[in-house]
Amino acid sequence: MKSIRHFIEYCLARILLLLVDTLPFGISCLVARGAANLWWVFDHRRRKVARDNILRAGIETDPKRALALARGANHHMALVIVESLRSRKILTRDRFRDHLEIKIKPDVLAALENPDQGLIVASGHFGNWEVAAHFLSRYKPVAGITRRMNNPLMEKLVQSRKSAHRFRPIPKRDRNSARFLEVLENKEILALLFDQHATTHGMIIDFFGYPAATFKTVAMLHLVTRAPLCFGSCKRVGPLKFEISTSHLIECPPSGNKNEDIRSILNQLTQYLEASIRQAPDQYIWGHRRWRD
Amino acid sequence: MSEKSKTESIIRKLREIMETCAMEELDWSKYGPDSTIESLGLDSLTILDLLYDVEQELGVHLEARDIVSIRNMGEMASLLIDKGA
Repeated sequence: MKSIRHFIEYCLARILLLLVDTLPFGISCLVARGAANLWWVFDHRRRKVARDNILRAGIETDPKRALALARGANHHMALVIVESLRSRKILTRDRFRDHLEIKIKPDVLAALENPDQGLIVASGHFGNWEVAAHFLSRYKPVAGITRRMNNPLMEKLVQSRKSAHRFRPIPKRDRNSARFLEVLENKEILALLFDQHATTHGMIIDFFGYPAATFKTVAMLHLVTRAPLCFGSCKRVGPLKFEISTSHLIECPPSGNKNEDIRSILNQLTQYLEASIRQAPDQYIWGHRRWRD
Repeated sequence: MSEKSKTESIIRKLREIMETCAMEELDWSKYGPDSTIESLGLDSLTILDLLYDVEQELGVHLEARDIVSIRNMGEMASLLIDKGA
């Protein structure tokens, strides 16, 4: 029964991919928005979470406007999927400059161009992180955490699309506890999204003024390996147009007080993320339960 | 101090550090030079915790390339001794 369900899901995904690959971009977006609207009607819980998160963050004070913003963010997520599927067509060597405005700080650019150095790029679920990873893979291979899909057919399909650029997925849970270190040892880029609820392993850091359990891995990797670390984001500024920007490198040598070192790094990263979200709040995934009190 | 007693001393120190950063309650006295890194139950985060604490306690900074090739506690102890612990 399960294998039949997996096969049906796979067929639907192939049809979707065919549509995205062949239809004009504008039409693909309309289809995606329609699907997002359908999702919006049925997913009451996610809708409420998104609205409440927007109100709590102080992005909006009026519940109706917060709900409208949450709906915009829902459309954004649908666009992220379409854009990501299109990215290999638009980010070619001769065309990428038509689609990307690059605002990478010189110290980060130096790290990207240095073949003897790895780089940790921390980001959140803001803008289109898939396009950002695809762009960064022009410099060196990128590795990032991805959750293995329950459907093996879908997993194979997703991997085949991802391997079109130099992106290597790393499992979230794996017996190889040195898998992140290996990426940096290979002088590659380790891209980590740090803005999801981190259960008991996280550190409590204020996110928009409210305590949120935050993943420590990105901070610990910088402290232990001294690999350069920056915050990066990829904001949509028009149809298939993005602004890719980074912070300067974040420098934090170990002081001997581990928790304070981690806190200092995570606070800086969180502030960069908040600033990005404030610029385009409709490009953030508000439906995630970040605050769980 | 002989090579063997130095290794034992470093492993004792490693056990103390691991007791503070491990996620599980383990009987650390059972772990010796041949204990594999996997058997210590260190995940990707706790191994980083361990490396931070090793640097602070023993004054030795291990590079990523050193760490990924370590297979057991004995190798880690030898590496730390080579690096001046």
